[in-house]
Amino acid sequence: MILPIGPVHPGLKEPLRLKLKTRGEKVLSAEIDYGYIHRGIERIMQGKTWQKGIFLSERVCGICSYIHTQTFAETFERIAGEYAPLRAQYLRVLTNELDRIQSHLLANSTYFKAMEHETLFMYMLALREPVMDAIELLTGNRVNMGWNVVGGVKMDIKQTHMDQIMQIMNKLESEYGRYVEIYEDGPLVGGLRSKDVGVMTKEEAIMARAVGPIGRASGLEHDVREQHHTYKDNFDWNVVWRKEGDNFARTMNRFDEVWESISLIKQVINNIPEGDVRKKIDIPAGVAEWRNEAPRGEVTYSIETNGNLIKNISIRTPSIMNIDACAKYMLNDVATVADAVATYATSDPCIACAERVTILDESGRVRDFHGVHNINSKLKG
Amino acid sequence: MLDGLKDIIRKSSIHVCLVNTGGCNGCDIEVVALLSPRYDLEQYGIYVHNNPREADVLLITGAMAEQWKDKLQKIYAKTPEPKVVVAIGNCPLTGDVFNQEGSSVHAPVSDWIPVDAEVSGCPPRPSEILAAILAVGPDAIAARGRQKL
Repeated sequence: MILPIGPVHPGLKEPLRLKLKTRGEKVLSAEIDYGYIHRGIERIMQGKTWQKGIFLSERVCGICSYIHTQTFAETFERIAGEYAPLRAQYLRVLTNELDRIQSHLLANSTYFKAMEHETLFMYMLALREPVMDAIELLTGNRVNMGWNVVGGVKMDIKQTHMDQIMQIMNKLESEYGRYVEIYEDGPLVGGLRSKDVGVMTKEEAIMARAVGPIGRASGLEHDVREQHHTYKDNFDWNVVWRKEGDNFARTMNRFDEVWESISLIKQVINNIPEGDVRKKIDIPAGVAEWRNEAPRGEVTYSIETNGNLIKNISIRTPSIMNIDACAKYMLNDVATVADAVATYATSDPCIACAERVTILDESGRVRDFHGVHNINSKLKG
Repeated sequence: MLDGLKDIIRKSSIHVCLVNTGGCNGCDIEVVALLSPRYDLEQYGIYVHNNPREADVLLITGAMAEQWKDKLQKIYAKTPEPKVVVAIGNCPLTGDVFNQEGSSVHAPVSDWIPVDAEVSGCPPRPSEILAAILAVGPDAIAARGRQKL
């Protein structure tokens, strides 16, 4: 029997249709329908200046809105062959890591909601609010920050704000361990409904091109921050990864990355250099590609410009690969439908990023589009 | 007397369904932030469960992507009377930045279903969303319920 879930459904926050092929309570396989929130951002950006493009790139996704503007700005800096001033690079790291913390806490809270652990869900959201305060303190907004420009960041940070962010981080660090412990070793959660559920092996993760915490939980030791010039030269941090590849590993991977982010934020505040936060960059005509580690994995921008307007832009977001990996490899032989929804929540789906195409037939009706993996499977034969 | 009782109950128990019709997700996260202990939506008797068949208030975010032209009207029809529609963020009001040449959105939402309250902002703060739900929710639902009976 095919059980459709969504697009508007109590278990889902964003519109997407999950089709679960079930026998009794057991889920045999799954299929995903996209196309509910396709807006055509790449098409709108063509023929616009970067000042308009950066505004649109922020609205590709509301959860990881920050990293899109950073990647957009760094792609243009790459075309010009220059880097932002060092102080601006530090501030970008600071905002990026704050954004990563709030995104990981939100992702884990969604998972706890999906597995009906309301207490941890509330704890996670309660932990997230001070981090949102820190973001608001730094940039002036909670979600869409408008903080990056080509050649730096918009505003300098004040010492009082840095002290307050430091206080928030110290408080988070002292409280945070308790909640990780509740999940890891708690009487109800530890292993009961998360271990050995939705397993994706390393080979499958490579075949599905899984990225970010989802790939790293399956043993892919890959983080684009290792190749980023700011992180490589100035900071001391580790790539968090695990071997198990189940729901427990994915959730714990996100939990452990928050520790690294807190340590990175403290390093920024302790070592931030003096200087300008923005410099003038003359953009020549050219093509460039740039990658960054978003909270969900690797985000790639390739931009072609004639020096003034954007001629072509292509955005590749991590959720595309991760949702397909979830549908094809994690949702195979899951014991119950409830576990299938929880597994879907651990893959940290962000549909707003992943929407790339709506296919219309001649009469204007929307056709089903099942994502990238169907194309791949046809290629393999 | 039964009407009076229904009015009281409806005022203190509002079920909310969130429908994202093609936005960037930012407004949806601010609605999730409303559930957090800091704002604590449920102390006002509001419960978010995303089921249109039980909802009193439909929260609409997003700029009406292609697929939602017929689906949103179906969801509106499924929602039982009395119902209130609150549009959150700039997208359902005007289409925001997405309403440009080349895009595939059909804003505003009020072209497709009647909208009772509009909250502007990109995204609006959680407290503003809460204020909007409380401003139109209880009284409008109670009043419309009485008209219906």
